[in-house]
Amino acid sequence: MQLEPPNLDPTSGAAAAIDEIVYANVFEGLTRINENGAVAPSLAERWTISDDGLVYDFTLRKDVRFHDGTAFDAGDVVFTLDRARAPASTNAQRPIFEQIESVTALAPDRVRVTLKEPLGAFLTYLGWGDAVIVAPESAATNASKPVGTGPFRFQRWRQGASVSLVRNDDYWGARPSLDQVNFIFIPDPTAAFAALMAGDVDGFPNYPAPENLPLIESDERFQVLYGTGEGEMIVAINNTSPPFDDIRVRRALNHAIDKQAVIDAGLFGYGTPLGSHFPPHHPAYVDLSARYPYNPALARKMLAEAGLARGFRTTLTLPPPAYARRGGEVIAAQLEAVGVKVEIRNLEWAQWLEQVFSNKAYDLTIVAHTEPLDIDIYARDDYYFQYRNEAFKSLIAALRRESDPEARNDLFRQAQKIIADDAVNVFIASSPKIAVWAKDVTGVWSNAPLQANDFTQADVTGRAAIAISHDDKQAFPAMPFLLLAALGAFVAVAFYSRASLAFLMSRFVAMIATLAAASLVIFLLMEVAPGDPAAFMMGLNADPASLAALKAELGLDQPAALRYFNWLGGLLTGDFGLSYTYRVPVAELIADRFWISLPLALIAFALSTVIGVPAGLAAAARRNRPGGRAILTAAQAGVAVPNFWLAILLVLCFSVSLRWFSAGGFPGWDAGLIPALKSLALPALALALPQAAILTQIMRSSMLDTLHEDYIRTARAKGLSMKQALRRHALRNALIPVLTILGLQFAFLLAGSIIVENVFYLPGLGRLVFQSIVQRDLIVVKSIVMVLVFIVIFAAFFVDLAYGVVDPRLREGRAK
Amino acid sequence: MNGAAIRTRGRRARDIGFTIGAVVTIGFGFLAFLSLFWTPYDVAALDVDARLSPPSLAHWFGANQLGRDVLSMIMVGARTSIAVAFLAVGIGMGLGVPLGLAAAAFGGVIDDVVMRMGDLIFAFPALILAILIAAVMGPGAFNAIIAIGVFNIPVFARLTRGAALPVWNQGYVLAARCAGKNRAAISLEHILPNIAPVLIVQGTVQFSLAILAEAGLSYVGLGAQPPSPSWGRMLAESQTLASFAPWLVIIPGLAVFLFVLALNLVGDGLRHRLDPRNGRRS
Repeated sequence: MQLEPPNLDPTSGAAAAIDEIVYANVFEGLTRINENGAVAPSLAERWTISDDGLVYDFTLRKDVRFHDGTAFDAGDVVFTLDRARAPASTNAQRPIFEQIESVTALAPDRVRVTLKEPLGAFLTYLGWGDAVIVAPESAATNASKPVGTGPFRFQRWRQGASVSLVRNDDYWGARPSLDQVNFIFIPDPTAAFAALMAGDVDGFPNYPAPENLPLIESDERFQVLYGTGEGEMIVAINNTSPPFDDIRVRRALNHAIDKQAVIDAGLFGYGTPLGSHFPPHHPAYVDLSARYPYNPALARKMLAEAGLARGFRTTLTLPPPAYARRGGEVIAAQLEAVGVKVEIRNLEWAQWLEQVFSNKAYDLTIVAHTEPLDIDIYARDDYYFQYRNEAFKSLIAALRRESDPEARNDLFRQAQKIIADDAVNVFIASSPKIAVWAKDVTGVWSNAPLQANDFTQADVTGRAAIAISHDDKQAFPAMPFLLLAALGAFVAVAFYSRASLAFLMSRFVAMIATLAAASLVIFLLMEVAPGDPAAFMMGLNADPASLAALKAELGLDQPAALRYFNWLGGLLTGDFGLSYTYRVPVAELIADRFWISLPLALIAFALSTVIGVPAGLAAAARRNRPGGRAILTAAQAGVAVPNFWLAILLVLCFSVSLRWFSAGGFPGWDAGLIPALKSLALPALALALPQAAILTQIMRSSMLDTLHEDYIRTARAKGLSMKQALRRHALRNALIPVLTILGLQFAFLLAGSIIVENVFYLPGLGRLVFQSIVQRDLIVVKSIVMVLVFIVIFAAFFVDLAYGVVDPRLREGRAK
Repeated sequence: MNGAAIRTRGRRARDIGFTIGAVVTIGFGFLAFLSLFWTPYDVAALDVDARLSPPSLAHWFGANQLGRDVLSMIMVGARTSIAVAFLAVGIGMGLGVPLGLAAAAFGGVIDDVVMRMGDLIFAFPALILAILIAAVMGPGAFNAIIAIGVFNIPVFARLTRGAALPVWNQGYVLAARCAGKNRAAISLEHILPNIAPVLIVQGTVQFSLAILAEAGLSYVGLGAQPPSPSWGRMLAESQTLASFAPWLVIIPGLAVFLFVLALNLVGDGLRHRLDPRNGRRS
């Protein structure tokens, strides 16, 4: 999902995002719309229509229960339709429901609806999300806790993150295959692509970043479904705001905009140019896209005729979707070319709905209208286009009464022509519904006759849930595990090197002291961070009492010192606390990610050592000869390469061109060692090469330093060849400074892996930490940083011990 | 081949490297400076027709997905990069050098405190430190400067201390002490000028590291925020377009690479010119 809905009640909100989640999944109407756009029975088993088209008798399905256990009957239907047509109704399609004369329950399973005048598409309207049946008991709370009759029941809404639905086992119809469906809101197209590649989600019913489609299509993990969409992308014009009240200006605007250029930039070419407000796949479609051909000179001339030869200033208000923002920049540039100075105003959806849609305080805006067959919006007086045409209104009124399909199509054709002639808006494009799904997802809609994602038939082979699922995982054992490993290494080194107790103790105490200090620094930094986590978790409208309860539950009401020690104690036992956004233990979140980041750093570390040490030795041995120079030059270049850039170049070379590796993502360790290691190969290489270059330089100069020592000269003098002297006497000594660098390098690789993970969309600690920063989930940030710092300090400790092994002078406790 | 000839040849290679490095560094500096007054195109301006156009005479480095001129963005990006690196190294030097001087001059507790603080900061890899700072203060160029700067403090403190300690044993320092000068004054008048070359060399190295760090931070979105162009974000934004518009990822990366390489060459050259200890090695 790209957009989070403002609420979850489709009968009191216009946002498409509501239907996209709850339609057919949670809520059902008397009828429903199928994937091909046809009307089918749903809660109404069958119906009869009187000859004059005014009286509809519905027979309802029996044994249907709402999710809260209350039975569904005729009373609920009466309640729903009366509520929708009441004067105080907040239903977005109220004008349609106002055509209802009366709704009466004839029997518990029979309802009669009488219309004021015939409505040709009444059964279709009843299949819309706005007409789903709600119960009087739950109607008031549906906005936050929707209760319907559908195959899935609402489980949880994490504001700003996701909505989860679980299977309704008492469903009257065929049981859905999925146990759970999670709708995750990812507004940023780049993040959407990243989430897809990383396997965070199973798909996007409407994929927001068409520029990535070639890449996704070539990835065998995904399927791309191109369906017909009902969306018309338009430049909406405020028809009453001067100078747009002049039809010549609106027509000039139509000539000034190059639709294909907008499609190319805003939709990356995925769109069909339009000339009116109608989808091309409909039989009544009239191609009017050439009605106002792109002609800037003509546009200028028409503006001059309207008395605007010197152009004018106007504003272009843009909602958040990428098509609007990108398309808006193009349109602004095109309007500038005919002398119209455009000021772009970017708004969030809530602001856009209020300022543009409700208050009509705008000049121009760009938006896609995704409702099916919604040309009748041009007949509404108070609609945000502010367009008034009596002829058009009577045409729509006739259309409403007409039920003969061919006659309806004819009226649709006339309607398209009228609004095109009046140049109400600039009709840009019809965009296809482009869905991207994981290969194993089946049964999802590819066409979009209405904005809905029916998961009733959907299935995922071998998996129970779609999208993210946080299964129960073991508490994160890494901290105790690492502590034990440290202790083991410590004992082993102590035994092997027969080092003095004083040396060992001093190293150990130093490590513990650094750890304690580091944890204190992290804790204090997080203390001064703005924002109350509890308030963040509860959302904006939190009740003070429950806020206090949550604070107590999280231990946030305790004094800072106590919280510090609790946190520290938790770290040692693997209990990191609850994530503020996901409300799951942080340890669970970290556990999986950790086993990607750590192996990645280890592989990179091994690679860098295997490349860097021999290369440095070779360069030292061949110093001032071409071979040594070549190595040195390569190392100099390697040091200057940013690892994430190298990573991108590796992807270009090995994934995009040669197709040896996938461009990103991680199959999981369950998929087997080989595929998992294969997906870590390129990231490890990208990380390792710059570090290997540094190592080469250090190794070389350390070796050269050692070769200048007297004992080497002595060895050479007694007849050893350079190679022998190097191997027998120099190597061990030259390795000492290299050890220090190795310790530092490991820390750098671990941190560097956080960046490189982003290039390859690996679901490691790096992705988690950046997500958490954006969501201000500070407890996750705090814990991840602590784990990383722990590993770095541990590595430093290990290097210290290794000194003891390599250099006997040190383990005696003499000064370093 | 005798030793002298080998050394001469090594020195000549290094001189060439230093010259090339200096020229490239000055070139980048000039581009950044020029961008204050003039860029080939307005970095905010869009040109739909030029969208994703490959390098050409009109757009030397091509244009991005919105038709923005890449060369102009590289120029302004150089400015961002240099400003962040310069200020970050400035913080590191400004705080690290006095701390190091004090540690060397007074020893004892001050020395211990400075060195242990350094150990502590080194326990946080620079990037993780930056992440922490971004988590607390929010992402942005200013916070990137702080993050990189904080990491530079102990680097300079240690270097200064290490270089200053031997100078304290010099005869002229002893003479100054006998003359009754206090330790702070000696540090400023005698120690600092003596260790300046080492600091300048390290400054160059840290500057190049800061350029790399800034690119990394802005790549993950913790550096300069839109709309101000930065090399790292140019890479991040064009990454998914790499398969059909490779110049969009090659050029900003190449800019980082060349700039860092040039700075390293300059640093190398300076080290051998200014730092007598390295004279014998090649």
